[in-house]
Amino acid sequence: MAGIDLEVSEGEIYAFLGPNGAGKTTTVRMLVTLLQPTGGTARVAGHDVCEDAPAVRRSIGVALQEAALDPLMTGRELMRLQATLHGLPTEEGKRKGDALLDRVGLTQAADRRVGTYSGGMRRRLDLATALVHDPSVLFLDEPTTGLDPVSRIAIWEEVKRLNDEGTTVFLTTQYLEEADHLADRVGIIDDGKMAAEGTPGELKSQVGIAHLELVIAAGESAEAEEILARFGEPMPSRDGTLMVGLRGGAADVAPIVRALDEAGCAVEALELVQPSLDDVFVEKTGRHLEGAADDQPSVDETVPA
Amino acid sequence: MTTGIAFELRSTWALMRRAINEIARVPGAVIPAVLAPTIFMCGLAAVFGNLTQLPGFTTDTYLTFILPVGFLQGAGFTGAATGVNLARDIELGWFDRLLASPAPRGVLLAGTVLSASLRVLMPITLLMVVGLSLGVTFPGVDGLVIAVLFASAFAAVAACYGAILALKFKTQAAAPLMQAGMFIAVLFTTAYAPQELLTGWLQDVARLNPVTQILEAIRQGFVGEVTWADTWPGLLALAGLGAVMVTLAMRGLRRSGE
Amino acid sequence: MVAALGRRSVRQAFRRPQFLAPIIVFPSLFLAVNTGGAGRAVDLPQFPPVHGFLDFQLAGAMLQSTMLAGVSAAIALALDIQIGFVDRLVAAPIARASFVLGRLVATGVLGVLSGLWFITIGLVFGAEIHSGVPGALVVLALVGLNAIAWGTIGAALALNTGSPAVAQGIFPIVFVILFLSSAFFPENLLLEPAKTIAEWNPMSLIANGLREPIISDLSWGKTLEGLGGIAIVAAIGTVLCARGINKKLRSA
Repeated sequence: MAGIDLEVSEGEIYAFLGPNGAGKTTTVRMLVTLLQPTGGTARVAGHDVCEDAPAVRRSIGVALQEAALDPLMTGRELMRLQATLHGLPTEEGKRKGDALLDRVGLTQAADRRVGTYSGGMRRRLDLATALVHDPSVLFLDEPTTGLDPVSRIAIWEEVKRLNDEGTTVFLTTQYLEEADHLADRVGIIDDGKMAAEGTPGELKSQVGIAHLELVIAAGESAEAEEILARFGEPMPSRDGTLMVGLRGGAADVAPIVRALDEAGCAVEALELVQPSLDDVFVEKTGRHLEGAADDQPSVDETVPA
Repeated sequence: MTTGIAFELRSTWALMRRAINEIARVPGAVIPAVLAPTIFMCGLAAVFGNLTQLPGFTTDTYLTFILPVGFLQGAGFTGAATGVNLARDIELGWFDRLLASPAPRGVLLAGTVLSASLRVLMPITLLMVVGLSLGVTFPGVDGLVIAVLFASAFAAVAACYGAILALKFKTQAAAPLMQAGMFIAVLFTTAYAPQELLTGWLQDVARLNPVTQILEAIRQGFVGEVTWADTWPGLLALAGLGAVMVTLAMRGLRRSGE
Repeated sequence: MVAALGRRSVRQAFRRPQFLAPIIVFPSLFLAVNTGGAGRAVDLPQFPPVHGFLDFQLAGAMLQSTMLAGVSAAIALALDIQIGFVDRLVAAPIARASFVLGRLVATGVLGVLSGLWFITIGLVFGAEIHSGVPGALVVLALVGLNAIAWGTIGAALALNTGSPAVAQGIFPIVFVILFLSSAFFPENLLLEPAKTIAEWNPMSLIANGLREPIISDLSWGKTLEGLGGIAIVAAIGTVLCARGINKKLRSA
């Protein structure tokens, strides 16, 4: 990590958005007392993570990326163990555990071994176990990575419900829609540093402009890029799709299409896209967020194919 | 309530139960560990049995002499297996779940390590059943109780050793280190023969190896009467080894956040 | 082709400590403990004349090492089967035999290396090769061949079960086979029923063949017996391998 300053208010949903390797998991691990910071301080739920780690652990619920569940245990047994480890008396632990299993829709599967659960079921169980002691702060590390859309939405709804009930949520994600949809505030992290912070609306309005995405016939991309550069602000291409920023929004589309037509460049597909958090990311870091785990050219290095 | 003895005891017991769970649910995995000490005992007795002809041997049959070694081996390898399981738990991220809970580090260690003390009863039982049916002299109730208690305690110490390696290397590939360590600890003692009949260098090693005292304490009922003189060195060795291992393991636990 | 697959197998062995440990570490520890713990056996009247107990033990250590190498190779092969590597090869128009051959060559190499290891540490700790360099060469040849023979058993195991877990469970059986032979102690001094079994156990032939050049003069009789034992093991292994490969082909 290169140094992070952030503050999350009580009752907020805060999303940490960034590509793989940006430092999201490292930050979360420090905040949940699994990793010692090499410098600086952090307080969670009013307690210092270094000086007062046990107090932090009492107040937080944690669902980490690997959804680390013992495949030989049943869902119910896992809830009971979690309840015991958080100091709940046996009866209360049973009650709460069963209630939470019901809440995440796992009552039917509760007595089956976790090894038989699907990915979505495991995430739901993971979430349930994090809640057994009514934590005031919930940490979710990439809660929907690898899930199908239906399971993803189920998790989103649950997180929203928890937040409505008063739980502060700190989540990390590499998915724009997730941050956009869920978060009150978003922190964009890249390379161990904070690149930008604010509500999704604020961030997007900072970037401000729409952009045009085009797919040009093979062999004509170089010419097309030149033309685009004349009309708008060049942007890095992605997966063979050319992009250009348009200050004037939709009004700038027609001249571009005409110019491309005159030059004989065949446009195979065209889409006008309003600003997104990915645009914010590009502006701050010079790279795209989606698929940014692979190498993407920065703005300066864009070379027409 | 997340503080206090009751909480710690309940958490320790819950973690022990989970570790023992595994045995019940994947019985195939433990069968080699349960059988190995007995196979080793029978094999060594068949091969080196005639060593009892040497003057100075303290039992009539070699089997009686090395059955106690089987107790220690069972304990040592149970401990190593516990270490391997912990390494797997760390690799899979399960241990993070425990570390992030309010349970104190000592409880996490105790829950892991004490399960070995219970698990070791399986190979020990098989050893006694096979040994007695093959003619081993019964060590007397006091001898047997002491043997079982010492083996159980050694299993916990061995599990601590396994835990230290698991926490340091965080991978199951450290398994051979755990097993080799236990092999050396248990066999570089008066395992094969009484002290005077060991070859020069092993005599010295055995004298210095604290596990020799533990072995002799376990063996006493089998070779003669149970006496305090034969027992207290083993207790001291257990206490000393235990203190060292627990300290190192706790240090490893606290450092695991770095 | 054989060389390339052989090299891959050797590299695999050195990269995974779980595989290498049984081949060198445990047999060496066992050698140390046996020599230190039972060394006074040379005082027993029926014990054959030897320069030292260590000299007697070296053969057993080498046998143990090569047998465990064979089983380790079985685990590696079973893993390869699991990941489908073998299916790819079986489908390819190369000699299917060369796949198994590659592994066997590797196991042979590992066997000779382990033989060198034990001879070296034997010499370091005071043993003597009674029949000198020619004797040492005979020993290494026998060790290498034994490794290959046990490699076929290992390969047969893998091809017939396809499961690394089963292969792993065979480790204790290796010990049992060796305990029931003259690997660690003279046949005449074993207790019944081990004594009778040892007289019929091909591993005893191999052990005696390996041991002879170390503790006394080279004797072609004993060497041939050793080769005979190896041939028996290799025959069993090859037959089971062929069955295993045919099973794979039929189900491919």
